[in-house]
Amino acid sequence: MPVEPAVRVDNVAKRYGRRSVLDGISLAVAPGTRLGLIGPAASGKSVLLKLICGLEQPTSGAIALLGTDVVGKREAELGDVRKRVGMLFQNYALFDFLTVAGNVRFPLERRGGLEPQIIAERVANRLRAVGLAGSEDKLTGELSGGMKKRVGIARATVADAELVIYDEPTAGLDPVTTQKIYDLLAADQQRTGATVVAVSSDVAALAQFVDEIAFLYRGTILYRGPAATIADAPDPLVRQFVRGELEGPLDEPGVPRLGSAAEGQRGVEDVR
Amino acid sequence: MFGDAIASIGASARWIAQEVGGILVLTGQVLRALVPPKLDTRELWKNLYKMGNKSVPIVVLTAFFAGGLMTLQTGPFVKKLGATSLAGWGAGYAVLREIGPILIALMFSGRVGANNTAELATMTVTEQLDGLRALAIDPVRFLIVPRVLAMMVMLVALTVIGDLVALLGAAIVGRYMLQIDWSTMYYSFADNLKPYDFLHGIYKSFAFGGAIAVASCYFGVTVRGGAVGVGRAVNASVVASAVSIMLLDFFITYLSA
Amino acid sequence: MRARIADLGGGVLDAMRAARELWLTYVSTIAGIVRYRRGGRRKGEVARQMYAIGNRSLVFIIVTLGFIGMVMTYEACLQLSRVTGDYSQIGSQFIRLIVSDFGPTLTGLMLATRVGAGIAAEIGSMKVTEQIDALRMSGVLPIDYLIVPRFLASLVMTLVLAVLGGTVMYLAGGLTAHYSFNVNTNIFFDFQFLRMRHVVLMIVKSLAYGAAIPIVAGFCGLRARGSSEGVGWATTAAVIGSSFAVIVLDFIISAAALFLTGGDL
Repeated sequence: MPVEPAVRVDNVAKRYGRRSVLDGISLAVAPGTRLGLIGPAASGKSVLLKLICGLEQPTSGAIALLGTDVVGKREAELGDVRKRVGMLFQNYALFDFLTVAGNVRFPLERRGGLEPQIIAERVANRLRAVGLAGSEDKLTGELSGGMKKRVGIARATVADAELVIYDEPTAGLDPVTTQKIYDLLAADQQRTGATVVAVSSDVAALAQFVDEIAFLYRGTILYRGPAATIADAPDPLVRQFVRGELEGPLDEPGVPRLGSAAEGQRGVEDVR
Repeated sequence: MFGDAIASIGASARWIAQEVGGILVLTGQVLRALVPPKLDTRELWKNLYKMGNKSVPIVVLTAFFAGGLMTLQTGPFVKKLGATSLAGWGAGYAVLREIGPILIALMFSGRVGANNTAELATMTVTEQLDGLRALAIDPVRFLIVPRVLAMMVMLVALTVIGDLVALLGAAIVGRYMLQIDWSTMYYSFADNLKPYDFLHGIYKSFAFGGAIAVASCYFGVTVRGGAVGVGRAVNASVVASAVSIMLLDFFITYLSA
Repeated sequence: MRARIADLGGGVLDAMRAARELWLTYVSTIAGIVRYRRGGRRKGEVARQMYAIGNRSLVFIIVTLGFIGMVMTYEACLQLSRVTGDYSQIGSQFIRLIVSDFGPTLTGLMLATRVGAGIAAEIGSMKVTEQIDALRMSGVLPIDYLIVPRFLASLVMTLVLAVLGGTVMYLAGGLTAHYSFNVNTNIFFDFQFLRMRHVVLMIVKSLAYGAAIPIVAGFCGLRARGSSEGVGWATTAAVIGSSFAVIVLDFIISAAALFLTGGDL
């Protein structure tokens, strides 16, 4: 009996006026697995994440998050499923009217039904895990970029969500810290068995962390395969991007979009 | 607790003094840049168009309602006394000398002043002003002086238009809601309102325009912080403009009596 | 020329769409108040907002309404000195106008500027830094969490400040009349023409403005897009929108009162 995927995206398109950002995206993420999402700037990665969470509505197509449809739903109806999801935003989106501890406490308080001492304990644990013990009372204005990112990670993981989304978890961090962050994220995921979707431009480090990688190019998923072999992907576009080569089919206008959903040759692969 | 209150009043007073000082310094810089009037005419025209064009609709609408309002307030009273010939005077006098210039200046400060602060603040935050200086272009001469001149000219023009629309609004409300006919209103205006009343309002809008312009430019270029700072700068700009309008109104009224 | 008409038509459609969304914001806010009791709010947020509105606007209101009161009285006395020289009615008429119109409306205009800009700047910054999205991800409704407390606070504080502002206006006017035209303060401070309907007007207007300002400003803040530019734009739109709303509401309420009382203000 097939297991309901944690995230299911069915032939989704997103247009802003006349500008098409996503076109015919289909994707399914099996529960408990880690998916990495890569692609050039402005390929629609962040938009896809927002659509998955129902923060924006697609122009067409269906999206199911943890088994719940999110298309065409009102804000109030999405609250319950969102509480089972943790998200790290690209620019951290920390609440500047709360302290560090206040930020990390927030999702737990919203869930309701937890004793204040338990909440305080879990907040303290999380802050310790991300290396920010002792910064509980700082305001976001007093933090460095790296510290803000770690608070964001703590806030995203404090509620032991079933699905965690990381939008650029290691951007702007040095290689050692990057490795530490990924170790932390991996340990978390193993502990909770959550599904993870991570977007990153640092393909090498991401590949160590996730099981599979999907390559998003100009609004479609061009390729999806195991992270370990991404550098030897059959598609030259993917290879060029992953290896960081300057010459190749990438960024040439008029390059036909390979592997559309209809063709099914390469590109979209469902995991069911 | 009382000590806290005194301390915060003291701190506010100091902050106000600081900002007022800064504004005066900027005013001096603007005046100095005008002495040999060498300014970027292209910037001037661009700003004149932008500020005038974008604010006409809102000023016209506001003036219309304001004029109508004045008739609503004074009209019934005048009718009760049977002195309908004074209906235009009651509404018109207040509109030309006070309500018109002040209200139009407030709307101008909200529409153009706030927008100006937001633009300059964004340019400052994105370091474009520093970029200009690096190219040996004086931001005051290039950016600020054209804007100040444009805003002063535009506010006067808008006040003239607004005054007329307000009188029109007063007449329309008088006719359709208080049954005072057109000719009564017209003669009432013509007999009782002197050109001096009109000019008095214009002098005021000239002064208001200067105050709004300098304040909005000042808070724009002294912004600190990112997006949050821009919001705060706009906030400070409109508040300072409103206070200046009221203060200037007071002084001009007293001085011209 | 055709392009201009197309622009105008487009503008009207945009305005209508915006008006509809604004109305939805208002309805959602009221719905949010009904939901308020069921938790999901920050403790003491309404009190905090009341303090923010009241405290930070107090001096501003006192200064601006005080000066305007002085100017208005001065102008009126000046005119009277040229026509009749009889100042006996000035104070009693002034208080009538202050209570039924100028007090709440001028306070409303000043608050539209100050509070409107403040709310739009706050909420707008949160929107462009994705904090609004982060709130939604925790299952929080931005209208309930951000706008409702400000709405309730503004209802109360606008009324309070209108009364205060009106008082300051009257006092300032009385001082001006006394020192510049030797009007006896006993004659000036005369409440004989003040009726219940004037007080009702004051309350209705203050509440209307107090309701309109946070809704318009919050609406503009939530629609901010981009980065610092978006915040600046949202703040500008909020100030204009709130100010205009105050003026239009004043007109509508005054006209309605005129109609209901058969022309006797």
